[in-house]
This record gives sequence, C-alpha cells and structure tokens, in this order.
Amino acid sequence: MNHIPQIGVNITRKEAWNKVTGATKYNADTIKPNILYAKLLTSSHAHALIKHIDISRALKLDGVYSVITGNYLSTQIGSVVSDRYPIAYKKVRYFGEPVALVVANSESEAMKAVKLIKVDYEPLPIINTISDALKPDATLIHEKLHEYFCPVEDVYPQANTNIADHIKIRKGNVKQAWSECDVIVEGNFTLPKSDHIAMEVRNTRAEILPNGKVIINTSSQTPFSIRHTISKHYNIPEGDIIVRTPLVGGAFGGKSTVDLEILAYLASRSVGGRLVQITNTREEDIATSPSKIALEANIKIGATKDGLIKAMKATYYVDCGAYANTGPRMAKAMAVNGSGPYNIEYIHIDAFTVYTNHNYVTSFRGFGHSAFTFCIERMMDKLASKLKMDPIVLRTKNIISPGTLTPTKDRVTLSNTGDLKACIEKLRNLINWDEYKKVQYENGMIRAKGISCFWKTSTSPTNATSGVILTLNSDGSINLSFGAVEIGPGMKTTIAQILAEKMKMSVKNVHVTMYVDTQVSPNHWKTVASMTTFMVGNAVIDAADNLIHQLQHIGSIILKCPPKDLMVANQRVYLKANPEIYIDFKDIAYGYKYPNGESIGGQIIAHGNYIMKHLTPLNKETGEGKVGPSWTLGAQAVEIEYDPKLYTYRLLKAATVIDVGKVINPKTARGVIMGGMSMGLGLATREEFIYNDEAILKNTSLRTYKLIRFGENPEYLVDFVETPQIDGPFGAKGLGEHGIIGIPAAFANAISLATEMEFDKIPILPEEIWKKKTGGKP
Amino acid sequence: MIPLNFDYYKPKTLYETIDLFHKLHSIGKKPMYYAGGTEIISMARLNNIQIGAVIDIKGIPECNIHELKNNKLIIGSAITLTDIANLNYYPLLSLTVKRIADHTIQGKITLGGNLAGTIIYREAVLPLLVADSHLMIASKKEIKTLPIKDIFQGRIQLEKGELILQVIIDEKFLSLPYAHIKRTKNEKIDYPLITISALKNRKNKINIGFSGICEYPFRSYEIEKALNSTFDSMDERVNNAINNLPDKLLNDLAGSSEYRKFMLKNMLYDILKKFEVAN
Repeated sequence: MNHIPQIGVNITRKEAWNKVTGATKYNADTIKPNILYAKLLTSSHAHALIKHIDISRALKLDGVYSVITGNYLSTQIGSVVSDRYPIAYKKVRYFGEPVALVVANSESEAMKAVKLIKVDYEPLPIINTISDALKPDATLIHEKLHEYFCPVEDVYPQANTNIADHIKIRKGNVKQAWSECDVIVEGNFTLPKSDHIAMEVRNTRAEILPNGKVIINTSSQTPFSIRHTISKHYNIPEGDIIVRTPLVGGAFGGKSTVDLEILAYLASRSVGGRLVQITNTREEDIATSPSKIALEANIKIGATKDGLIKAMKATYYVDCGAYANTGPRMAKAMAVNGSGPYNIEYIHIDAFTVYTNHNYVTSFRGFGHSAFTFCIERMMDKLASKLKMDPIVLRTKNIISPGTLTPTKDRVTLSNTGDLKACIEKLRNLINWDEYKKVQYENGMIRAKGISCFWKTSTSPTNATSGVILTLNSDGSINLSFGAVEIGPGMKTTIAQILAEKMKMSVKNVHVTMYVDTQVSPNHWKTVASMTTFMVGNAVIDAADNLIHQLQHIGSIILKCPPKDLMVANQRVYLKANPEIYIDFKDIAYGYKYPNGESIGGQIIAHGNYIMKHLTPLNKETGEGKVGPSWTLGAQAVEIEYDPKLYTYRLLKAATVIDVGKVINPKTARGVIMGGMSMGLGLATREEFIYNDEAILKNTSLRTYKLIRFGENPEYLVDFVETPQIDGPFGAKGLGEHGIIGIPAAFANAISLATEMEFDKIPILPEEIWKKKTGGKP
Repeated sequence: MIPLNFDYYKPKTLYETIDLFHKLHSIGKKPMYYAGGTEIISMARLNNIQIGAVIDIKGIPECNIHELKNNKLIIGSAITLTDIANLNYYPLLSLTVKRIADHTIQGKITLGGNLAGTIIYREAVLPLLVADSHLMIASKKEIKTLPIKDIFQGRIQLEKGELILQVIIDEKFLSLPYAHIKRTKNEKIDYPLITISALKNRKNKINIGFSGICEYPFRSYEIEKALNSTFDSMDERVNNAINNLPDKLLNDLAGSSEYRKFMLKNMLYDILKKFEVAN
C-alpha cells in the first residue's frame, strides 16, 4: 500500500488557525463567574527581618475577603533544597518577594488593600554579588541551611555558608595532562541574571470543592509536579488534586517551578475554598516570579602547540538568588557538560550554587548550557588566537568522537551524540567562512564573524517517565492524549506526526488533545529539557505497537487468519498477501458487528510509555555517572557590522547547523531554532537585571528591561544534519532549547574579533565597547 | 488592570470641555484631559496616578485640525503622531515623531500628549522649538497664542484647567534644511540616549534642540551661538557647545553621563558636517 511520509514534512501545527485568529483560550482568558482575585504585597527590601505586619486596615476595606501572611500554613518548599516559604516568613531575602496576599472581590479592590498593609522591616546586610556571598564572614542568607530538608539525595548544602551545592567532576590524570601542554589560556567570565519574558504572564486559578478535590487551572510546564508538590506540603492525597493546563503562551523554563499555584491554593483555602485567580503583572512576572541564573566562571585550558586540548580546569559559580530551586540542577548540568563537545583527557570542574539577595532562579532555555558554553567557546577563540589557528580548525581538531569519554565518563557513540564535524562543515559554507572572517570597508565599517559549537543533554531524574493513550473513533481516526504541555514549539503536532508515520496514515486523522488534565492525561515528567519529542515520541511508538497488536488481534478473527499475516496502514487492517482483503478501523473502532448483529471487540484503547533507561546519579567525589540518553549538538555563527567610530554594531546574520537525528517537521524545527537564536542574541546584546547597591532590581518593566524586537533581528540561517539516534523515535533527538546555546559566545567572538578587545561579559552594549576601547573618556 | 475608578466624558465643544474641567475640579474629582491615554494607562496600572475623571478632547473640533492655511501649519493637539508622519507637512517633525515609541503606540500618542506628558523626553517638542512655533492655549478666561519658548521651559507650563489646542508653525520653516539624529542605548525603538532635531535657518544659522541630555528637552541659544560661531574651528564649536549645556548630563540606565557626552560630541560633528555639506 502507498504511504505518504508523515515525518520529514512540513505540517502546519494543529492549533495554528485557532491561535492566529485569536480563538485559542489561554488560561487567564477564561472568565468565570463568582470568582475572587488575589494580589500580592511584595518586599521593598532585598534582605530584612519582618518585625511586624499590620493587615488590619486592609482587612476592613470593602470587598476584601482575606489577607494572609507567611505564618498561614507555613511550610518550606523547593524541589532540591526546601528553603523557600511561598509567602516570606519572618525574613525577606530578595526585592519583590511575596510578603502578604489579599483576596478580594476584584483585582482593583485587592490592589487597594495591598496598599494599606504596613510592614516593619529591619534591614540586614545585603549580599549583592557572588564574591560577597563567598567571603568568610559573609552574612548568611539561610542560617539554618544545614537543617533544611532536601527532597533529593544528591545535593550538598554547606552549613554556615551561602553555598547551596557543590558538584565535582574529576576525570583523568592531572599531573601528566598539564605537563603535556605547550600553551595555557585562562579567562574569567560574567553573565548577569535576566528574565524569560514569556508573552503570557504567569497566572493560576484554584478552588477547593466541598468534596475535598483541589482544582488548579494554570499556565505551567509541570502540571504533574504541581499536583505532587501541593499533595506533599499540604497533606492532600495526590488523586484529590486535579491540575489543568491549556495551551501556554511561552514558558522558556520559567513556568517549570511551582510558583503561583501554591499562592492560589493558599488564597482559596483562606476563603473557604472559593475560586481565586492570581495573575502576575509584567512587573511581578519579572521581579517576583523566578528568573534566569547569573554566572561567574574561571576557566583554564591547556593544549599542545598543534592545538590538541589536553587539560581543563573550570570553576563555575551559579548565582541562584535567594532560594536554590533548580539552581543546583543547572550547576550540575554545567559541570557534567562543562567541557563543551570536545574530547579533553583531564577535566577538573567545580560548580557551586551560591545564594545572594537576588531574585531566585528557575530553569531557563538551555538549562545553564548557554552560560557555560559562552565561557568555553570564548576560551576556544582565545586558544585559537594564541595558537594562530583558524577557530574552526581548532574546534574540528578537538571534537568528541565515538569511543571517547564525556566528563562524567559516559561512552560517546555516533548515535548518542551525532556528527559535529558535518555540522561545522555545513556551517562553514552557510556563512561563507572562507570568504572572510573580518573585513573593513571603505566607509570604515567592519564586518566580522564568530562561531561556536554546543552540546546539550537532559540531566533529568533517572526515573523520568512519559505516557500516551490512544483511542479509536468511529470514523476510524485516532485520539492522541499525553501529558506534555504545548508551550509553543508545536510538539503536539510533532507527536501526532510520529504516530501517523508509525500507523502509516495521514496526520490529519490524528486528533491530539491540546490541554493537559492530570486526572485524564497520562503522566509526563515535565515539559522541559527538550525531551518531549524523545520521551513522548518513544511512548507514542510504544502505544502504536500496542494499538497495532490489538488491531491485528481483532482483524485476525474477522479476516480469519493469524494476526501475523496482517498489516496496518491507511486506517485499515489488511492481509499482507492480498491487500484487497481488509477491514477498516471505523468498522472495528467500537467493536465489530457481524451481519447477523453479533458483535465482538469493543472500543479499541491503546497505551504506551517510556521511562529513562540506565541513568545514574553522579558520584559525589568524581562526578562519574550517566546523566542523559543522548546529546544534541551543533555549530553556530553570528556575523555583525561594527562601527569603529561610534562603537555600535548591527546584527547581520545568525546561523545554526544542528544534528537532530531526524527532522520530524522541518518548518517547525527551523522556527524553534530561530526563536532560540533570537533569545541568544537578546542575552548577548541587551538582556540583564540591573541591581542597585541595595540589591533592588531597577529594570522591572519592559520600558527598561530590553529584549530584541521584531525588525532588530538579523537574517537567520538554519540547516540540519541527520545522524539517527538508535533509540530515538525514528532516530529523532530533542532540539527545543538548542538554538540559544552558542549564540552569545558566537556574538562575543565576532565582537571581540571586530574590536580587537576581549569581551568575556554579556550583554555587550555599545557603551561597554566604548568604555573598553577608550577607557571611558568622552 | 487599572485599580481605580474614574468617570469618562467626551464633550463636543471647547467651551464645554473647559467648563467641565473646572466643575469636576471644584468637586474634588481630580479631572484630567485625555487624548491617546498611553501615559494615563501606564501610570494607572502601577497605581501611580490619582484621577476621578478623564475628559476626552478628541471631540473638540479645534483639537483635530491638521492643515496648512494662510502660510501657517496648524496641528491640533489631538492629532496622532501617525497622522503627522503620514501627512508629512513638516519633514523634521515627521522624522522626529516616527522615532517616538513603536508604530502601534504612535497611532495613539497625540502631539498634545507628547508635549504635556510626564515622561521626560517629549521629543516632539524639538522640531517645534527650532521652528519658533506658537502654541494656542485655551483657558477659562481666554484663548491665547504664545511663542513656544515662553510656555515650554523643560516642560509645558500650564495652569490648572488650561488645554493645548493647537500648534502653529510658520510655513517658511517647513522647507528649511533639517537634520534629525536619535541615538539609543542599543535599540531601534527606545527612549533616547540623545535625540537632536535641527534646522538651518534663512540666515544660515543652526537652530537646534535636544532631548535625553538633561532631565528635560531644550533649545539653547548659548549652544546655538557656539555652533554658529563660524570663526571658530569645528572642534572649538563642538567643545563650546558642550561646555554650555544648561544642566548636568543625565546618568541613568540608558547610559552614563560620560557616554552621553561622547555621543553628543559625535552627533554635533555629524550635524555640523551635514549642514556644511548642504551649503
């Protein structure tokens, strides 16, 4: 039977028409009658004791139902270190931290009441930088750090310090390696905190029904974690909690932390379970909800004179802000992949997670990879420059290859990594690398190109799992349901394509459930780590196998043959030897009825799942372990035009060539990679949190927090390499985050080349270039 | 979310408008004239404004005039930046307003709103300052027409209840050689690090206005004198101009004062060169 391929082809995402016409309803678009609204009073200090909170005037205001503070059902949450009260209790540790919550008839009444709450603070010394935090006599942000509960075993908070965790990677023979090096380069790197700025701000509704069921409707990447967290902390059986998530308007990691959901639950509980909505303003989304990590790093690499890197020593300090949250996990990700996609015999990495009085952190697209990749790829250019080697030649010489070991001593294969050399070669052509790397035109303008490589794996829990349920409709189409949230990259459609390909049918006849409901949808660990295609893709293939098995079974009875003689395609079951003998899905979907009325079968319902295989935690002293099923890798470039008179620049091109194993939907994949590059350019050129001396965040609105706008983007170039991952669905790998990873480094390499200065800090603003070039003298 | 309640009025005549303002004011309603609403909305959602009533001036015929008549360009205060750019009677003004905010917002911001706004840059005033424009102001007792320099000193100097009706620009300024440069921190669309709008007048002298340098936009005769002092070298003219700034340079998130000074210097050279080439 003819089969038209359903993967490797451009399929318009299934929700596209609803989105572009505005028909799609995001979580906060649903207007409910009889709802109450919650608003937060947030801290005006970055570090202070709460001496007293007077809520009496707020409570008296018309329309106000309740005002709660940190002592209401006080419990410390945090998936790695439980160090954070959902509403600050006795102490605030960052500017913008929730201090009190008002529930009222309307948002405006709640806002008025918030203004009437009086808080007496006693300011504490501020920890405003990583170096402040690490001083021997530094003020402790968490005095009782050693007493905190840690839900995971592999995290090591250090008592009486501001260090939440320390990860060590030790690989190879130290003395021998450094002694074999002819050149050694060293660098120090700084990356600021910044925000996700998803278009949809975070928002949640919660209610507690009279029968005890807790219903949470939220914009989140992790409905199942929300259920688990609320269950654990408020002692409610998990099955009594239902979390629902419709389409999400962008997340970028920012909606992976249980954040407003707990506040909404507490708010509802404080008013007898009534439905309460809480929606961040943009300012709260920036200053109160969690943000991206900051990083300081010191790196030393040594190489032979012909450019073979032998040794690397790196220290990464991750600023997790006031609460650890997933900070230690990002530090871990940086440590385990901290060599970049290069084969280095001796590796010594320390990654510390450090508390400061800044906004606390959560995952951000790339999960620490864009941060350490900035450092490593700047180092590669520094080394290339010292060795007078072409940056591409140096990289190509050192890339990981099958048989070598990763920093955690996992064995590299072509399947679990890919063909980086092919990516680099394609990139070289895509950006005309050999034409020029730097050129100055008659009008004085300089054009320059910078490149970088990247790799990323998932570092998920070792038991991360994902499920799929398929049901047949009476028209022979298939309903597809799974627990990953559609946060924008079109993954619901990607999974539908994988199913259609496996079932040899048209994706048009696959109906995918767009929302997630923890009571109905099969569990999916979290919609993070670029793992949806891989995990759900494998689960859907498992489910399709289950479905085919059931179809063959019923088909064998109806068509009177052994099941193995039957094939499935185009929504029918047919005899391999004679396709003209067949039965359509529609005739067996709800059971088969014989001409005489007798029936067999019943509705066909299939299921499948996937669980991570053979992952292990890291050894505490050496870092040995298996952290992910595979790495996705690639090469990127940025071309800029630099004006040496004004020290300004324009972005001309940004390019990515990535080995994704198998491209399921080329246009969608391209779009996702472009979006990643755009965010990477934002980090490189403008995005940063600016704190004053009191650690007060100064740019809490989009007037002053800058991100790339349409029209400022360069030309984007994307190409793919397809080296199948043996255990991936049709060979496919994750690609959701990867577009961002190498871009800040590639941009900094281009600017450094153009300006003949070393830029090891981002964002790189024209004023920074001016200062470096002139010493800041007008 | 706007946490305050306010009444909305849209009178049809100027008389009604002014009368309404005073009535509302006298009963403590804290009225405010409204046209585009961009600033009112941004301030209200942060709870940074106290208003009990807004009076929409878009219904007043005088505020909606946009025409060239009797050698005068008249632009009503309720005319949007988009309209100004599209009709393009005065190219320097068009260029300047096209770089205020983004395209969507330009369709909302009005000329009067930009002149009377609280955000410090008010770049639309620069082409008006350098063209010796007049503002027509309505108050309870009269309608007066004043040279802009008399009523705009850093910001518009209006009494309670006074309303900008129109901007009047002499036609002879509309076709003069002009220059507009805007530099930002790093964005295409942003508040200015520095914006300059300049004309070369009929005596071959430069009229020049600045925004982003100090806490208010200004035109300075001392700076013009320095720049127009053709006996001096270009370096001297630029240095003298910079030494005659009316106030200290801004130092904020958009840029340090030193960086602004560097940028200003460059921009002044560009302006001088541009007009010299035009000679």
